[in-house]
Amino acid sequence: MSQTMKIALWASGLVFLVAVAAWLYQLHEGLVLTNLQNSYSWGLYISGLAFFVGNAAGGLVLSSSIYLFGVKKLKPLAKLGALTAFANVTAAMLIVLPDIGKPIRLYNMLLHPNFMSPLVWDVIVLNLYAVVSALYLYILMLPELTGPLARFAIPVASPAEFSEKWAKRIAPVALFFAIGIHVITAWIFSTQGARDWWFSPVMAPDFVSVAIGVGTTVVLLAGALAYGTGEKYQDAYQTLGLIIFMAVCVHLFLMANDLAIHAWFGNPETHRIMEIAWGDFAGAHIFEVVAPLAGAGLLMQAGVRRSLSRLAASAGLLIAGVFVHRFLIMPAAYNNIPMTMTPLGQPGVHWSLPIASGRFFPGMSTFIDQYAYTPSLVEIVILLGTVAYAVFLILLAIAKLPILVKEAS
Amino acid sequence: MKMGMVIDLEKCIGCRSCMVACKQHNAQPPGTWWNRVFTPGSHHHLTPPAKGVEFFLPVHCQHCENAPCEKVCPVGATYHGEDGAVLIDFERCIGCRYCMAACPYGVRQFNWEEAEKAHNRSHYQENYHYGYPVDHRTKGRLVYTPLRPKGVVEKCTFCAQYRDHGELPACVRGCPGKARTVGDLDDPDSEVRKLIRDRNAFQLLPEKGTKPTVYYLPPKPKEI
Repeated sequence: MSQTMKIALWASGLVFLVAVAAWLYQLHEGLVLTNLQNSYSWGLYISGLAFFVGNAAGGLVLSSSIYLFGVKKLKPLAKLGALTAFANVTAAMLIVLPDIGKPIRLYNMLLHPNFMSPLVWDVIVLNLYAVVSALYLYILMLPELTGPLARFAIPVASPAEFSEKWAKRIAPVALFFAIGIHVITAWIFSTQGARDWWFSPVMAPDFVSVAIGVGTTVVLLAGALAYGTGEKYQDAYQTLGLIIFMAVCVHLFLMANDLAIHAWFGNPETHRIMEIAWGDFAGAHIFEVVAPLAGAGLLMQAGVRRSLSRLAASAGLLIAGVFVHRFLIMPAAYNNIPMTMTPLGQPGVHWSLPIASGRFFPGMSTFIDQYAYTPSLVEIVILLGTVAYAVFLILLAIAKLPILVKEAS
Repeated sequence: MKMGMVIDLEKCIGCRSCMVACKQHNAQPPGTWWNRVFTPGSHHHLTPPAKGVEFFLPVHCQHCENAPCEKVCPVGATYHGEDGAVLIDFERCIGCRYCMAACPYGVRQFNWEEAEKAHNRSHYQENYHYGYPVDHRTKGRLVYTPLRPKGVVEKCTFCAQYRDHGELPACVRGCPGKARTVGDLDDPDSEVRKLIRDRNAFQLLPEKGTKPTVYYLPPKPKEI
C-alpha cells in the first residue's frame, strides 16, 4: 500500500469517526442541534440523500454501456463503477439516519410498512440496488479472487466464463434498480401536492439525467485517480465525457423547462417560487447552472482529459454544481408556505399563515413564514463524514480487492 | 360516524382562548402550537390589515379524509381513528418528518429536544407541568403523553383523551363565543351538517384535494 493511500485512508477514516461522534451527540441532544425548525423541517441531510443517490448512478452507466450497448472499451472501469455505486448508495442510506428523530425505531419499517409511502419504496429500492451492486462487483471480481482471496470465491469450473455470463445477466436487473433509485427518490418530493416547487412530473426524469451526469463524473474521476490519464484510457474517458455532457444538457433543459412553466403562469405561489429560486438564491442558481455546464464542457476537451489536475478540477466543479442543485431542493419548497389565502374582503392581498417554529430562537418570533436556513456545524460535519465514508470504502476496496485491472507488464 | 368541526368566523372574537386551552390541556412544549388563531392579512395579533376588514381564523389539524400526512408516513404512525380523526401513535413515529413536508396546513410539529430541556431553554418555572396529566391510549395506541419524547411529530388530536371519555375537545369547551361545533358529518340531521348547509361553509385549500373535515362559516361584512 502506497504512502498516499495510507494517508488518504487514515484521513477519510478519521473524518468519518468524527461524524459518527457528532451523530451520537445529536442522538443524545435531539435534532435541536440542527438549524431546522417546523416550517423548514428538511435540510442538508435530505439534500445529501438526493446527492449521494445521484452519485451512485455510475455503476448503471458502466454496466449498461458494456453489457447492453457493447461499449467494450469501458470494461476496465466496470468494477470501479460498481464500487462507486455501492459506496454512494450506502452513503445515501447512511445520511438519512441522522435526519430520523427516533432511529432506534426504524424496525417499524419492517413491522408496519405503509406501502403507500414513497419513503418505503425508496428504502426498498435503495437496499436492493446496494445488494445488486455488491453482487455485480463480486461477479466481476470472481476470476481474480485468487491467492489469499481464493476462500471467498465460489467454486465454478471456469470463473472467467461464469463471470462474463452472469455479469451480462445481472446488468439489466441492475439497470432496472438503478433507474428506480433516482425515480423513486424524486417521487418522495414530486408526489407532494402541498409543495408547488416539488409537485412536478419533470422531477423524476430530471433526477435520472442529473444522476447519469454526476454518477459518470464520479467514475471518471475515480478512474483518472486510479489509472492516471495515460493514452491507453483516453478512448474510455472520451466516451464518459460525452455521456456526462449529454446528461448535463438534458438536465439543464429539464430544469429550465420546469422553471419556465412555473414562471409563465404567474400565480402568487409561483411568483413566490421565482422570488426564492431566482431572487434570494440567484447566486446559487447561477452556480447550479454554470458549474455543471462548465465542468462537463471542460471534460469534453481532450487536453483537459489528459491532465489529472485539470480533469479533477473540472469533475470537482461539476460535482459541486450538482451538490448546490441538491441543496436548492429545499428553500423554494419550505419558504413558500403552502397555506396561503386571499383574506375575505382584501382583494389583491396574498397572505401566508405563519407556522409555529417549535424552537426557541432568542429575538425571533415563534411564528415564522420565512426562514433563512443555513446548516449547523453538526449537520456539516455529518455530511462531510458521509462523503468521507464513501471515499474510505472506495479506497479500502481498491487497496484490498482486485478492483483495478493490472497493467500487462 | 365521521367526526367533523364547524368554526363560525362570525362568532370568533379573536381572543385566542382556544389556542391557550389547547396548549395547556395538551401539554404542548414551548414553541409548539397545535392551534393558531390568525388575523388574516396581518402579521400582528389584533392589528387589522385595513379598517373594517379584520376577521379571525383559527387553524389546526384539518383532519383530512384524504390526508397526505397519513399516506406518506412510512410506518403507519399517523392513522385515521374510527371516528375519522387523524391521530399519531407516539410509540411508533420514527421522526422522519415526511408528514411535515406533506401537510399543506403547517399544523405538524416536531419535538426537536426533550420537553424538559425545552422548558428550561424557554425559562419556564422549574417543575411546572401543565396539561392532562396521564398517558392516554386509544385502542392501545399511545396518542397522548404529557411529557413528549424528543424526535416525534405531534399535532391536534381533537383532544382524543377527552373525546374517549365522552367530553368535547378543549378548544370547543374553552370558546367564550361558542364559535365551534363538533358533530357527525355522516348524519344529515346533525348540527354540523345543518350549519354547513345553511351558512355557505368553506374549507381551507380545497384545491389540494385533502378533503378536510373542519369547515368554516364566513363572517358577515362589518359596519364601520
